[in-house]
Amino acid sequence: MPDSTGQADQPKETKELSTSEEPSGSRWGAFGFLLTLVVALVVFVGVGFFFWSQTYKSPVGTEVAQNVGMATVNGVTMPHVTLYFNTYPDSAGSVNGVAIHPGGNPTWPAYGPTNEFQVPAHALVTVYVRQYDSGGSLNDPWFATVRGTVGGVEIVNGKAVRSLNPNDIAHTFTLRGAPGVDPNFFVNVPLPLAVTNNNEDYGPYCESAQYLAESSSVRQGNPCYNTVEFSFVSGSKGVYAWNCEYPCGTSVVGFGGPMSTFGYMSGFLHVV
Amino acid sequence: MSSEDLVGETESPPPIHKPFFSRPGGKIFIIWLCMTAVGVVIGVFVPKQIMPNMLSTEGHTATVTIVLFTVLAAPVAALVYAVGLYSLLAWRHRGPRDEPPPDGPPVRGNGPLTVVWLVVSTLLCLVLLVWGLAQFTAEQTPHSNELQVDVTGQQWLWTFSYPGTGVNSRTLVLPVDRPVQFNVTSEDVTHGFWVPNLGVQIDANPGEITVVRATPDKVGSFVVRCSQLCGLYHAFMWTSGAVVTSANFSQWLESQGASPATAKQVAFVTP
Amino acid sequence: MTTDLAPPRLEETPLGPKAGGFYRRQNFFTGLASGVLLAFFGWLVSHAVLQSSAWGSDMVVTVTMVTWVIGFNIGVGSFNAPFRWLRGHDQSHEDELYMAGVGQGSKRYWKFCTDHKVVGTQYLVLVLVLFGVGGTLAMMIRTQLISAHSTFLSPETYNSVVSIHGIDMIAATIIMVTGPFTNFIMPIMIGAKDMAFPRLNALSFWVVVSAVPCLLATFFLGGVNAGWTTYAPLSVQGPPAMDAFAVCIITFAISVTLSGVNIVVTAFTMRAKGMTMGRLPIFVWGSVASVGLGLYAMPAFLLSMAFVITDRAVGTSFYVAAGGGSGWLYENVFWIMGHPEVYVILLAPIAALFEVACTFARKPLFGYKVLVGAFVAICALSILVWAHHMFTTGWAPDLGGPFMVTTELISIPTGVVFLCIVGTLWKGSIWTRLPMYFLYLFLFNFIIGGVTGIYLSDVPADDYFHGDMFVTAHFHYTLLGGAMIAATAALCYWWPKITGRMLNERIGKTAFWMIAIGFQITYIAMFWEGFEGMPRRVAYYSSIFLSSNRMATGGAYLLMLGWLVLLYCLLNSLRHGERAPANPWHAKTLEWMVPTPVPLENFLVEPVITSDFYGWGEPAQPAERPEHEPELVPSLSARPTEVGGGAE
Repeated sequence: MPDSTGQADQPKETKELSTSEEPSGSRWGAFGFLLTLVVALVVFVGVGFFFWSQTYKSPVGTEVAQNVGMATVNGVTMPHVTLYFNTYPDSAGSVNGVAIHPGGNPTWPAYGPTNEFQVPAHALVTVYVRQYDSGGSLNDPWFATVRGTVGGVEIVNGKAVRSLNPNDIAHTFTLRGAPGVDPNFFVNVPLPLAVTNNNEDYGPYCESAQYLAESSSVRQGNPCYNTVEFSFVSGSKGVYAWNCEYPCGTSVVGFGGPMSTFGYMSGFLHVV
Repeated sequence: MSSEDLVGETESPPPIHKPFFSRPGGKIFIIWLCMTAVGVVIGVFVPKQIMPNMLSTEGHTATVTIVLFTVLAAPVAALVYAVGLYSLLAWRHRGPRDEPPPDGPPVRGNGPLTVVWLVVSTLLCLVLLVWGLAQFTAEQTPHSNELQVDVTGQQWLWTFSYPGTGVNSRTLVLPVDRPVQFNVTSEDVTHGFWVPNLGVQIDANPGEITVVRATPDKVGSFVVRCSQLCGLYHAFMWTSGAVVTSANFSQWLESQGASPATAKQVAFVTP
Repeated sequence: MTTDLAPPRLEETPLGPKAGGFYRRQNFFTGLASGVLLAFFGWLVSHAVLQSSAWGSDMVVTVTMVTWVIGFNIGVGSFNAPFRWLRGHDQSHEDELYMAGVGQGSKRYWKFCTDHKVVGTQYLVLVLVLFGVGGTLAMMIRTQLISAHSTFLSPETYNSVVSIHGIDMIAATIIMVTGPFTNFIMPIMIGAKDMAFPRLNALSFWVVVSAVPCLLATFFLGGVNAGWTTYAPLSVQGPPAMDAFAVCIITFAISVTLSGVNIVVTAFTMRAKGMTMGRLPIFVWGSVASVGLGLYAMPAFLLSMAFVITDRAVGTSFYVAAGGGSGWLYENVFWIMGHPEVYVILLAPIAALFEVACTFARKPLFGYKVLVGAFVAICALSILVWAHHMFTTGWAPDLGGPFMVTTELISIPTGVVFLCIVGTLWKGSIWTRLPMYFLYLFLFNFIIGGVTGIYLSDVPADDYFHGDMFVTAHFHYTLLGGAMIAATAALCYWWPKITGRMLNERIGKTAFWMIAIGFQITYIAMFWEGFEGMPRRVAYYSSIFLSSNRMATGGAYLLMLGWLVLLYCLLNSLRHGERAPANPWHAKTLEWMVPTPVPLENFLVEPVITSDFYGWGEPAQPAERPEHEPELVPSLSARPTEVGGGAE
């Protein structure tokens, strides 16, 4: 503003200048501003809810391992807990009234009834699996060898084995820590196939004692299964991720579809 | 002053020599110097604090390159920042905001300055290039008696096999001071074989074998991560590794199933 | 209401509300309805015909998406003129006036409207919507990364959020200046009445609108799990969402190509008398360079996606190794697009920023010819650098050296850009209005972004940094901190001309500081993550990265808040903003010489140019008389007015 000496008797300029001399241009509407924020927040929360709900959450929730006493491994005494899960050729339907993978794609195989487990740290974990699915050859025969279990073995239909034929695999249970969690921990257990892909007479592929004990008339039409039992010592606290390494999915090398959708062939083990 | 000075004198007034540091160029120079100093200090100290422990010559090269580039970048950034800052301090129009200020001087360009700028930026570019090409060529050169490690990436695990020993392991163990050649492939999609502590990275491609080399020169542990998005469990595709002495390496090979003779033979080859 | 160019009264023409048939009733909503209808029909037919095949699902999704795109465009009226030509009719003059939006008020923004100002405004709204979508997805990402193992998102949901965030932002930044501002401002700036191909202009807009639902559909089809770069063969393995993604990209590429052709032809052929190439404002050069480069790059994108579809749906093996293909083929074709594409993103906003610099430093552009040369050099070099994105792929290791050379060479013309900005600011009268704030933020950010690119161009350093968060921080500094901030400066600069309202600068400056500070916190933290060795695109990370991630998330929330305040500033200005004069910045380019709101054909009399528009500080030249009287516009009798540079 030019110097106003000599013009002091003129009325003060009534130009619409705000006190800060900013060309303010408009009113600051607190209501409008809050409305913008609220709408944005609603959008963020709504979209966030939409994405959160896309994660598979089993209605059974996280399976907490049952405590069955104490055990000694390599001279160290630790709690002994057990876990149970099964592997099914399709995710539809239910077993003993418990849905295998509710809301899932019915043609996709699934681990069930839940894909989230919880065990205590530094404990002996014994896992019991019933394997109902067919299978075939692994992409990498490395996964046919049992790794990281107590004794380096798994017990298939009552017999302890160190590895399976890489062409007779249905699924694997491959477990490692989330990034940074217990770098030395690793478990890989191959699960044998339960029926050939063209549904032949079951022969050597369904040898669980329970199944064989049933009469042939009962067996007819009932899905056969193998039993697998293995034990490992859990690592330090944290989240561990497990997944299947047998290509039971679609598309390139069989890792599409259920293999790439969380919850069917993948899940978490929480060590607390 | 006699009247002679006032009449008939057509000389132009003597040029005013302002001292350098009271001219805009001088003040900007001071600001630039301070900013460069800060940038150099940041470059020399900060990356090393936050980068992981480097265990190989390639890793050291990466760190030195990063520090060098930060130090060289400091004066470049400082120049732009100094002029920008000075323009706000000295040339900002202070007056009513809704009236435009008077026009500035009608300078449309400065030939010599443009030439100097182009020459300096070209030289800087050349320095960086020569440095980079030298390091790059050094890393591509094979050494003799390299330890071969076959790396297989697959969804979603790394496995490492040591040809001739029958060892096929989930963790990567390397002997110190021995050049290594990684032959990397994938079973399915593209993965990124990345060992930050060794300064090596190469993609694992299905149907191809790609090669990367390193020479570990310090004992320590490291992490192997997957750097190329590969699907559902890309985040979990990591594993641990260690650089150990040759003796420990031989023992480890045996523990993974190699025969004692093969283990010693592979571990103790002198380069 | 627009002051129309001396048209007859509305009631006297066949333009009234009752005139015309179905063609005049078409708008965005009829497009939606028609698109959904045709897509449903396409789904039914393809489902019936193909479902039994092994690739049924992919082909069905592809056909459905393609029929949606075609149906939407039929419904919104994109093909009306060609349909009429097929039937042997042409458009009457009233039809053309109607198509230009005469007599429709604000309804014309929902329709296929050939007025470049309407198309520019439509693009502006689209860009804001796209940034809203991308920004929401960014909030999902940063919320997930607040802890090392969050239970918020599953791994494949996170991957799909990251992928769509990336491609949405890339698409938005490609069109964020050439869509709204080149369309609205450039024809006026060169003295033209409209673009060279007004119908093509409107078509390019509605085609890109039809691509957006394909993108959002991916969240309902299993999600795109392969990043925005969708490397094959992972993208070949993905769920059917990948087919929708590919159709979206192909549609987008078509739109950008149409728009690019239009802009280049307009700039070369529609200039007013006396507007020689040497007098063109730099914004026109930047826009032409940007879209010209896009014309080279977009077909490569389209091609790479087309083969992803065929690999997935038909069983070809371009990218699948088991069938003899190679993922490297995809990576090469993709990055042949991908690198020029970042200069497509950068050049137009930088050119707009130069207009801002001249106006708010009240000085001529420093080094006009050198700058134009730099733009051309950047375009030429950017075609030769693509494999610097592939240093760690193992493809052609012998080419690492040559690509390092070409990549480092690009820093020379980019340095010239800085020289010209700095030279324009030197001893100027800096007028610190809102657009200028964003110019200084651009300077600060783009140096950091550019310099960190140099690290990545050096192979040994790239072996450390590739695929980790350093790369993410680098491109956010250049694309968000550089290009998008420059585009925000352009928005604040041209807002009064487009909307006729001024922005409340107090709100704008509050938004500015939140954006500036939030941005630095977020992306410096991300550089920290990168130095530490955190990989990209991971939903879960090692706890050693916790502090840097927490800092980045905090910064991101502040940054988002800043953008919301800016959004409020825009909305507030529309409702309560002070009416803008025709030339609030007292600038010199032609768009400020026309009234606000801008008349239908921009100029009341056709301008004749006698000098360039950077005559700040130069004494006004006496207007030169042309040798011959220029031809008068037939319907007008006023003498042509000479418009030149010089002090206002």
